[in-house]
Amino acid sequence: MNQMDHAKKRYDETPIPEELNGRILGAIEEFEEKKAASSQNNIGIGKRRYYKWGLGTAAAFFLTFTAALNINTAFAEEVHQLPVVGAIARILTVSSYKKTVGDEKVSVEVPGVEFIQNDTQGLSKQINEEIQEICSRYADESLERAQDYKQAFLDTGGTEAEWAEHKIEIKVWYEIKAQSDDYLSFVVRGTESWTSAYSQEKYYNIDLKSGKLLSLGDVLGEDYINKANDSINSQIEEKSKEIGIPFFTPEEGGFESISDETKFYMKDNGNPVIVFDKYEIAPGAAGAVEFEINR
Amino acid sequence: MRQENYDKMTGYIIENQKKFYRLAFSYAQNQEDALDIVQNAVLKALDHYESLKNYDAIKTWFYRILVNESIYFLKKNKKEIASGEELGLEIPYYEQGYEPSDDLYDDINRLDIEIQNIIKLRFFEEMSLKEIAEITGDNLNTVKARLYRGLKMLKQNIQEVNL
Repeated sequence: MNQMDHAKKRYDETPIPEELNGRILGAIEEFEEKKAASSQNNIGIGKRRYYKWGLGTAAAFFLTFTAALNINTAFAEEVHQLPVVGAIARILTVSSYKKTVGDEKVSVEVPGVEFIQNDTQGLSKQINEEIQEICSRYADESLERAQDYKQAFLDTGGTEAEWAEHKIEIKVWYEIKAQSDDYLSFVVRGTESWTSAYSQEKYYNIDLKSGKLLSLGDVLGEDYINKANDSINSQIEEKSKEIGIPFFTPEEGGFESISDETKFYMKDNGNPVIVFDKYEIAPGAAGAVEFEINR
Repeated sequence: MRQENYDKMTGYIIENQKKFYRLAFSYAQNQEDALDIVQNAVLKALDHYESLKNYDAIKTWFYRILVNESIYFLKKNKKEIASGEELGLEIPYYEQGYEPSDDLYDDINRLDIEIQNIIKLRFFEEMSLKEIAEITGDNLNTVKARLYRGLKMLKQNIQEVNL
């Protein structure tokens, strides 16, 4: 073997980091989101994924853009006027602000929970503080990411005028999923208009009778893991057919089992709905995937 | 048609990502920077996908972006080292000499960037001189001349490496 063959061998054996595929797909995604955001009516366009991101920590922060993006204001107003739910609790916008930092628009609506009667042993305080913290941290970090993005854009030959056309928007808002005399279920979301990689969502399900956060075990009973897994397994095929996208197999990192960390919200009919992040069990084109589990 | 080109392009990028990474790594010599180079090249390619009129040219078109991104990285890095010196920081300095070491791979990375590019594309990526000329934007004779010069510096027998 001559020296050149040897050098080529060393070149060919360059270790490939696991993140590579994720970074490539991330770049493609970033571009597509950016493109979608710049042509406002086409939010869905070009969102096709063939492969999935490396799972793990990053996956925990993914979510898709949802239709709710544009209805948050109306939603918040409506919510604000809601009568006290079952005379026990209500949710309201505790603070709401919009600001423009340079070209970046930030709008934040922080929800809060108010319990009327029950002594909740500080639960509402705890939840409200946590929500406050999540919302403001997300807005701050997001703004930093926007600045980094801008810097990178300018460093690679973009101009300020071109940047201004990017319509960078950061939103933090909430959606009520269900409310009854028994429970209150809502989600707090944060999204950025230029990428979905840092979108976050956090679900809160509160048992109004006990004044505690609901777990899947509380809703589905002791055998909740098997019950949910069976139900999901029986729905996967149909769901996959419905949207025309095959889900990942377990070998590809697809669905195996729910855990205590699995996200869910409550429906008005009392069933929990399990939510998997975009890329968690199916290609990104499928978006976030939800399964209603019958009680 | 445009969408079709775009789809083909993302397909090409996903399929060949390891090759891109190896080349980027050969310049950066560390994982994080190599990943950044590839990611930036991909973003740039996508940003300009409409400028690729003929999909058949994707390979040289993309490599041109990748090589430029690598050069940009090396230059930027150099600048950072230079500004570090102004602050009186101790920065290890590598003599740009041509003392052959045990490993040709390392020697290639010490060559002038224009020569490095050509040797890497020719012998590691096994491209034709014509393709290389398209990537570097030089004419064929310049590419040839640089290639010979590089091999001479590396003390490689031209017959032995099978041009």
